This record gives sequence, C-alpha cells and structure tokens, in this order.
Amino acid sequence: MAGVRLEGIYKRYPGSERASVTDVNLDIKDKEFLVLVGPSGCGKSTTLRMIAGLEEISEGKLFIGDRLVNDVAPKDRDIAMVFQSYALYPHMNVYQNMAFGLKLRKFKKADIDKRVREAAKILDIEHLLDRKPKALSGGQRQRVALGRAIVREPQVFLMDEPLSNLDAKLRGQMRAEISKLTKRLETTTIYVTHDQIEAMTMGDRIVVMKDGFIQQTASPEELYNHPVNIFVAGFIGSPSMNFVSGSLSEQGGEVHFKASGVDIVVPEGKAAVLRSKGYVGKEVVLGIRPEDIHEEPVFLEASPKTIVSANIEVAENLGHEMYLYLNGIGTDTVIARVDGRSTLRDGATVKLAIDMNKAHLFDKETELNIFEN
Amino acid sequence: MISLDLQKQLEYILNCSVVTSNRSLEDMYKFMGPSFENATIEKGQYIEGDGDVWLIHDLHADYCEIIEFIGRKLNPTEQQLIVMLIFNKPSTIVDNHYAGMSKQEKQATKLGEWLQEQIDRGTTTGYIPDHLVLANSFYNDMLPILLVADGSTQLKGSYAELDKLLRSFLSEDALLIPLGHDEWLIWGPMTLLKDEEAELEHEEDETTEDLLTNIVLGLHDMLASEWLGESQLAITYPNAPAKMMIETVTTLRESINIGRKFHPSSNIHLPWMLRLEALLYAIPEAQRQKYLEQSLKRAELFVEPEMLATLDTFFSLDCNVSETAKKLYIHRNTLLYRLDKLKQETGLDVRLFRDAVLVKIILLLYKVTKSY
Repeated sequence: MAGVRLEGIYKRYPGSERASVTDVNLDIKDKEFLVLVGPSGCGKSTTLRMIAGLEEISEGKLFIGDRLVNDVAPKDRDIAMVFQSYALYPHMNVYQNMAFGLKLRKFKKADIDKRVREAAKILDIEHLLDRKPKALSGGQRQRVALGRAIVREPQVFLMDEPLSNLDAKLRGQMRAEISKLTKRLETTTIYVTHDQIEAMTMGDRIVVMKDGFIQQTASPEELYNHPVNIFVAGFIGSPSMNFVSGSLSEQGGEVHFKASGVDIVVPEGKAAVLRSKGYVGKEVVLGIRPEDIHEEPVFLEASPKTIVSANIEVAENLGHEMYLYLNGIGTDTVIARVDGRSTLRDGATVKLAIDMNKAHLFDKETELNIFEN
Repeated sequence: MISLDLQKQLEYILNCSVVTSNRSLEDMYKFMGPSFENATIEKGQYIEGDGDVWLIHDLHADYCEIIEFIGRKLNPTEQQLIVMLIFNKPSTIVDNHYAGMSKQEKQATKLGEWLQEQIDRGTTTGYIPDHLVLANSFYNDMLPILLVADGSTQLKGSYAELDKLLRSFLSEDALLIPLGHDEWLIWGPMTLLKDEEAELEHEEDETTEDLLTNIVLGLHDMLASEWLGESQLAITYPNAPAKMMIETVTTLRESINIGRKFHPSSNIHLPWMLRLEALLYAIPEAQRQKYLEQSLKRAELFVEPEMLATLDTFFSLDCNVSETAKKLYIHRNTLLYRLDKLKQETGLDVRLFRDAVLVKIILLLYKVTKSY
C-alpha cells in the first residue's frame, strides 16, 4: 500500500484561458479514504483522472508512494479504477472479467483462482461467477466492477462516482459496503462524488473543490462544524446552511447582528473576535444550520437574546423530523429542522431561537468565515 | 514499368537480358519454390529463382509488375544501384522502414500503408490485393473497430504489445493493422457477437447495436487500465475486410471525427448514433453559423452550462422529465422551472416534439461551432 502526493498540480486544456485544475496540493496518507467532492465542473474528476494517468498533468508532480509517476502509463501505476461508466467485458463471464488483469500480468492460475474466489466471497457474488454481464442486475455488475479492482490488490483504488448509475436504495447499500471493504483491505482510496452525503459518510478526509481550486481539506466533522467559507458551508449539509445578510453593531456593550426582521446578540466569545478583527459596524453574512434554529420552549427561555419571529410558509413533516420553510428572517426563505412531533403548521407565526454559539459569520466581500480564518 | 531506353541500358551494363513482365502470385510461387511461404513481398524487393533474379517493380491486387534479369545474379552493389536508378531512392530506405518488425507486423504495416494510399487517392471502394490479405478470415465477416490513442506524447504503444493485448482480450483471431500516428484498425472475430448461452435463453434481448456498443465500451475500459490510457474508439457493423476495408476505415474515421466535434467528452463514437450530426456537419460552415447566430439571438440561455447539461440529459433520456430530474439529482419541479424558463425566453417548449427537434439542432450546431 502507499500514499499519494500531489504537488502543485495544474491541468490546462489547449485553447482554454482558465486552468481546469489549479495548484492542487494534497498529501493522501497510506490507507486513507479521501473523498473529492464539489459541483459539476469543479475539477474533481480531472484531478482523479490525472492520478489515474488518463489525463496528462500540465504542471506539478504526482507521487504514488515515493515514485514520481507523471510519465508512467496507467497500467504501470499500480492502481485500480472503478468509474461511473464502468463497463464489464461483455464476452467474458464474471470470473474471466475479474481474472483478466491478473492473467495479463502472468499470475499463476492457482493464484488467480484464489484471488478471484476470495474477492467474490467478499462481494457476495460467488454464485454469479459463471454468468455473463448481461445476465446481471445493476448492483451485481457494480460488484463485479469492484471485484475486478480488488483482485489486483493495488496500492491505490480510484473511484469516480461509482454508485451514480444505481438507484437510491442500492446506492445506500453499496456506500456502506465500499466503506467496509476499503477498511478491510486497508487500501488507500480516492473517491470522487458530487454527493455530499456520500462524502460525509465515507471519507476519512474530504476535499471540497470549486472552479478547479481546493476550498478546504478536512475531516467530515471539521468541514461541517468549521467551514472556511460560504461555499463549503453551503455545500456540506442537507438541507443547506441558511445565509442571512446583515450588519454588526455595538449596543449596550454587546454586539448585535441585525437584518430584516432580525436583531440578535452575538455571544461574548465571538463578539470579542469580531471586535478585534474590526467587523463591528460592517456588513456580514450570518450562517446558521437548520438544526440550530430551535422552537422548544426550554431553548427559547434559555436564549432570550437570539429570538426571532417568523411565518411558516410550509411545514414538511418527514416523520422523525420536520422542515419549516420560514419567511421573516432576512430576505430569503430560511429552513429550520425541528422535531417530527412538533404541532406547528403552515401559515402559523412562530417564535424561534437561534443557537448563536453554533452560528457562523462570513465576510461579505471575501466570503471567508471570520472565525476560521 | 521502366522505359525501353533504361531497359536497353541495363542490358548493356549488366550484360544480360532484361525483360519486364506481369506475374501472378502463382508464378511467384513457382519461381521461388517453398521459400515463398515465409517471404514478404514488397516494392523494390529482389527475389531469386533458378538462375534468374526478379525485381518487384509494383504490386497489384492479383499480380506484380516484375523486372526480370535473365541468367544473371546481381551482387548487393548492383542491386542497390538499380533500385536507386529505378525508384530514385536507396534500397536500404525501403528495407529499414520495416526493420525489426515481425512478419505479422510487417504485413499489417504494408496493408495499413496501402489503405492510406487508397484513401489519399480518393478511392472509396476496392478489394485488398491478395498478397496483403493477412488471414483467410478476411474473406468472412469480422468486427471492425478503429482505435485512436489520445494520451501522452511521451508514451508510445508498440504494435507487438497492443497486438498481444487484443488477442488476450478479444480473441486469438483478432487482427491489428497500424494506420497512422497512434491510429489502429482492429478486426475482431464474429464469435464476440455470439453468445451460446444467450441464444438458448433470450436472444431477442439485445440488438446488434447493443452488442457492438458493449464490446467497444469494454474494450475502452480495458485499454484505459491495461494499455496507455485514454483512447477514442469507433465500431461499425460486421463486414468482410477483404472487400470492405477502405469503406470501413472511411466510415470509422468519419465517426471519430464527427463524434469528437459534436460530443468532445465522449470516447466512444458509434456511426448509428451520429446520423443527425453527420447530416449537420455536411451543411456548409457559413450556413451553419448563420443559422446558429439567428437562433442564439433569441436566447443566450441555451449556452449556459447548467441549461446545456439539463437539455443534454433531457434529450438523452427521451424527454422524460422524471428520469432527467433523477439523473441530474434535482427536484422534478426544479427541472420544470428550468424548462419553463427556456420556453419563456425562447418560445421553444422542449416537451413538444417540434420544438425539441429545433433545440436539439441548435445545441448540436452550437457545439460544433464552438469547436472551430
């Protein structure tokens, strides 16, 4: 097994003014499960394809283990790939599909057989070994594609949206299985997805990308609780973090955040940071996650200085939780996640308390998190 | 053939009779004896028979133009000088070109050169000359695939390596012909299309197009992980290489060319999926641009990346709203909102067949114009 190191990696396509990937620096540790996540066109797949050797690196160095592999062909990089558009070899049965790479590398028949059967057992496809791909379901095909990668026992697995062709239920199952599998095999894995739930549940670390730049690299918890900018804060979490534009002012020895329909007090610890950084009197963006807006009487009593009043546009009850779509907190709709047993209904006016200890404030111009930079 | 003057001069210098003739492959076999089986036949090559020497002046489908030196062996210097005189280049150049190649590669390379020569001349149909037929299977139907390696300029694939890989992957009967720079023609056996088990169970499930697509997708995946990386591939319907090779190469090249222009993110180019694109590409560039300019004036919205991706997915899923929303990971209402917005700004409702056709054409033209 080995780590992967990217040093100042750029990808520029001929005729394009802007680089598709800009100055990517990453040190992926041995056995780590790293997820590259971001919206379409952010450069995550291009980065993975450069690691795979399917795209030339325009600038920078790529190491797998201690070996510089910029000019090494994919087959010689000791990696195994599973891509969104994985295609099984249609004229071979499942066994032959999994054995092909090993056969090419001149493994002994007995070794090939051992590896294929072991991988098939792990993936629970032993009973399918004689079948041709067209006689398999989508989930089974996906397992065979994984099996083809596993038998190689590579230094690194590269996966590009491997679950996106599966339906939601199967995707959930396979997500857990891939996580279990890579932990069991202890193989370094780089996984690309646009789905932040996949990223949050699978990754040891997550790299959030936008417009070819890395925005933040951190553990899922760190990303969720300490996003460095508005983009990361908005991208990670579902429903997304709410953003309310407003301004900060000093009043009676306290720092207030004011916006349309909002006048709440910033806790002293955070207020001190705002004062020291000179944000009092300036425009900022308040970021608050849906679960940090409370309707419980106990919370309202305990937080009299952060109470807002809002009108419930829609109350969506999912059973275990309820989403309130609220008007009156700033100019845009704000979503609150409350207990599913709540009796709140559409059209009602409600008092809610914002947990300002969990709130984030972003510089209006740079969009950076004031408390994290 | 050579001029009478030159023929007379050669006779005078070499002090032997020099004649020109057209000889069939059977004549060549008789002349050379058993060594004919392992011999390669090429322009500028000398072959020796019983007391005479023949110089191959030109190759045709079923015969060769020969210059015969009667009753006289030629030493290497004489051979070189004569080739220089007749072909206006040293014979070593002819030889070095194929140096180090196996017999199979040499034959395949010659066939590739002949193919290119025919295409350069504007020939669109024609049989392969008998001496260039690589295998008897060329007279039966085979699966043609064109491979163009993308990838790094520093990584070059050798014929032997790719040939071995394809034989392992497709079949021992697969044949590889190098065409140009990083371009290869592959002929796979028909057994790839036949699946004994499936024939017994449910043969009606997959169309020929499905089968061909699956083969080329699998091949693409295999080449990406086991060869030099990314490549462009085109496949077309089975045919007999001996009589259809020129047309096949032309069709496959056109598919890759048109496919890359209209669908640059795709690596698999299927002629039956590119019919509308081929038709649009045949329209003169000026007219295409004029039509596009007129259409785009009505809305810049078409070319916004989000709208482009939405419409591409919508059309690829046969204008199915639910499936498109699912594929794009957006709510159905979000998709409907985008389609309504397009209708509002352009007057075109892609949920109606008539408008969908127009928008599809505008999108295709935009892609190809953008790539100029």
